[in-house]
Amino acid sequence: MKTNLTTMSHVGQALQLALKANKIGPSLEEQTIHLGDLTVANEQIDFSNKAKQKSTAEHAVGDKKSHFQKKEKKKRSAELITANIEIARQNEEKEKRAAELAIANKKLVKENKAKKKRAAQLIIANKELLFQNSEKAKRARELEVANKELESFSYSVSHDLRAPLRAINGFTQVLLEDYQEQFDEEVKNLLDEIVANSKKMGELIDNLLEFSRVGKQHVSKTEINMQALVDSVICDLRQQFPKLKTRFTGKIVGNIKADKHMLKQVFINLISNALKYSGKKEKAEIEVGSYDEKGNRVYYVKDNGVGFDMRYYDKLFGVFQRLHSNVEFEGTGVGLALIHKIITKHEGKVWAEAKVNEGACFYISLPIL
Amino acid sequence: MPNRDVQILLVEDNKADAMLTIRALKKHNLANNLIHLVDGAQALDFIFAKGDHIKRNIENKPKVIFLDLKMPKVSGLEVLQILKKDERTKFIPVVMMTSSKEEKDIVESHHLGVNSYVVKPVDFEKFSKVVTDSGYYWLEINNAPLQ
Repeated sequence: MKTNLTTMSHVGQALQLALKANKIGPSLEEQTIHLGDLTVANEQIDFSNKAKQKSTAEHAVGDKKSHFQKKEKKKRSAELITANIEIARQNEEKEKRAAELAIANKKLVKENKAKKKRAAQLIIANKELLFQNSEKAKRARELEVANKELESFSYSVSHDLRAPLRAINGFTQVLLEDYQEQFDEEVKNLLDEIVANSKKMGELIDNLLEFSRVGKQHVSKTEINMQALVDSVICDLRQQFPKLKTRFTGKIVGNIKADKHMLKQVFINLISNALKYSGKKEKAEIEVGSYDEKGNRVYYVKDNGVGFDMRYYDKLFGVFQRLHSNVEFEGTGVGLALIHKIITKHEGKVWAEAKVNEGACFYISLPIL
Repeated sequence: MPNRDVQILLVEDNKADAMLTIRALKKHNLANNLIHLVDGAQALDFIFAKGDHIKRNIENKPKVIFLDLKMPKVSGLEVLQILKKDERTKFIPVVMMTSSKEEKDIVESHHLGVNSYVVKPVDFEKFSKVVTDSGYYWLEINNAPLQ
């Protein structure tokens, strides 16, 4: 195209040169006419050239436009493909998720069923518990009634049994005092037996009452100076038995939180026992000491007395159980049972070791709080 | 000091206990002016000069009352309550004498203002000592207001 245009302008130039050269040829008028025609033709050519140029430019623009559109379309279709792929992927994802949800749903249904079953079981268990609770409350009321009955029973025993016993003991002693000249030795011995046995029965009743009283009593704990408590028990016993020759040894380290009144009773019983069962020895010796073990404080009372046979150990702490006859050693069989009850109430332990004729050692262990 | 015709008022429903108590006191010459009544109702009539005892002078107060706790009609605790609430009788020393070492009886008696609480031992030797010690203390050692 550019070549054509250049050619065209060359033709025009050539024509103009030719016309210039022709000046000398034809007449001036003729020359003028020719020149006018040529100018018109030239203008026409020029116009046609311009139009062609314009059209060419327009074509170029159109070309550019369609090129751009094509590019756009390509880009768009690429995008669509990408989008399609994405949708397909998402669909796949959704299907996968749906499958997962279906599984989860099934699982939930199953779980729900299990829950319903469990709920039903719980309802039954609840009903059972309610029933048991009402049974327990009923049982507690029954026990309360039984307890009250026992209380009034022990009150009765304490009040009503002791009075006739006092009469038997008292009047027998009145007989012995006022009419002793009229009785021979045999009668006096028989009357002495009545006095001794009624006295013994009184002690039994008293001990039994003490035992039941401790059971009812509330443990009120205070810090106890144990050495002082043991010393006061030994002091009281020395006053009670002024002829006592027993040697006391041992040392107590560490105090304890316990019910003072109850713990004093424990040591009165333990040390009295030690005195009683070592009383027939030439050199009676009692050791009262303590040591700590696994968060517990252990107190022990050890004597060198007659001891006991470990074969009968399981009877040792039972109520009214005795490992010695009343002829050998007097007793009611309540002392150790009482100790056991008191120490159990304190969440402690009590045990013993012994060898016949070599002595016994009683231990009580209480938690260090 | 007014000449009292009653020194000890013994209120005891148990015949044996009463006999043994009186015997023990007599042995120590403490039962010269002793009156024995067998229940709380009689005791109240005597003290306030009513009923069978209407002719008695109410001002003639016993030096001490030995009161059994468990008695028919009016119990020892009820007698104690009435005596300690009445201006005319509240200063008369009352010794509760009972077989029962029940804590609730001990506490209740002291709430009502008992002057002494004595448990009667089964063994007669101990019983005699407890009774005569009490008699001796309240008659010979203690000083109560005259009014």
